[in-house]
Amino acid sequence: MSILQKIKNAVRSRSIHVAYVDVGSCNGCDIEVLACLAPRYDIEQYGIYVHNNPREADVLLVIGSVTPQWVDKLRDIWDKIPEPKVAVAIGNCPISGCVYARRGTLTSPPVEKYIPIAAQVPGCPPRPTEILNAILSVAPLIFKDYEEKQP
Amino acid sequence: MRSIVYYVREFLRPEWIRKFFSVKTAPLTTPSYFKDYPTRTEKECTGCFTCMMICPAPGAIAVLRKKDEWEPEVYPGHCIRCGLCVEACPEGVLSSGRILDVTERDRTAFASWYHLEVDDNLCMRCGNCCVSCPVNRQIDPQLAGTGTSASDEVIMRIEGGRVRILHEEKCTGCTTCETNCPNRAIRVARMVEGIQGEEAEA
Ligand code: SF4
Ligand code: SF4
Ligand code: SF4
Ligand code: SF4
Repeated sequence: MSILQKIKNAVRSRSIHVAYVDVGSCNGCDIEVLACLAPRYDIEQYGIYVHNNPREADVLLVIGSVTPQWVDKLRDIWDKIPEPKVAVAIGNCPISGCVYARRGTLTSPPVEKYIPIAAQVPGCPPRPTEILNAILSVAPLIFKDYEEKQP
Repeated sequence: MRSIVYYVREFLRPEWIRKFFSVKTAPLTTPSYFKDYPTRTEKECTGCFTCMMICPAPGAIAVLRKKDEWEPEVYPGHCIRCGLCVEACPEGVLSSGRILDVTERDRTAFASWYHLEVDDNLCMRCGNCCVSCPVNRQIDPQLAGTGTSASDEVIMRIEGGRVRILHEEKCTGCTTCETNCPNRAIRVARMVEGIQGEEAEA
């Protein structure tokens, strides 16, 4: 492994930048993501920073069950994130549509139809600890030795 | 000047420096009372489907026949962890957090029944609902194609040119009438009421 890769690994493991996007949920999951930032869970002690700017993000948290207005915009956001990147579905909505998955609603879940999802955190809403664990366990899988893994 | 010295001294304490570099918030543990996805107890499931009936989330729970016993299965990604199925199960087959302890302590239970409603503006008095209802057919096999019946015991019948509901309490919630109504005029709603104390024990 080259020294450069080692440095990249070390830096990436301590600076995971997160952007989140709500594509149509009840806001419950947004509140839980917010709770991760509060002192009780203190997401920054794990080297995770929330910037909410896709241009400098590594991890995209997708919340919500995809309303028609978001179908094309979600893809745009995903394309703006530089490689290496990973998307995590937070809550039941992006997985199944949750309580919105019934006749007469405008949503079109799952979010996997629009962008590739690497991990799912079920729950309505999930606990902040579950969100944290998901980010912490999926990030090394994607980011470690990223350049060496490229064909 | 004094205050600067004070600050520097304060921050140079080994205790503070050690904590600054090493302290983390308490490890991320889940409290024991957390209402997680319902899990099975050892009790035997009778396949009464009460849990599926009360579940508010589409596709969250299914009671499946496995070999020769019933088994409720909860699907994460659909389940919203409301705990209603745990509370509603008459056999105590499911458990989550401290729900079972609390229902026992407070002696609470659910009572449920079915409510039938016909929208007179949509209904065209065809009588399909009265004829298709399996309970109606059992009570009055003579039930005519028009939905009129001589029996007073049927759930509903066409009477004076409109649907009249006589015995809502006999409805089993099968929704056959809803399926057979050409205008979606009749709706079956399941009503649930929380009860406590003596009533709940009966
Ligand atoms: S906890 Fe609530 S949502 Fe989950 S299966 Fe039970 S009733 Fe359904
Ligand atoms: S789990 Fe309980 S409520 Fe559900 S079918 Fe079995 S006995 Fe009935
Ligand atoms: S739901 Fe079933 S039992 Fe109840 S009125 Fe309709 S057909 Fe009859
Ligand atoms: S089936 Fe529908 S339209 Fe026909 S009588 Fe019943 S409620 Fe009215």
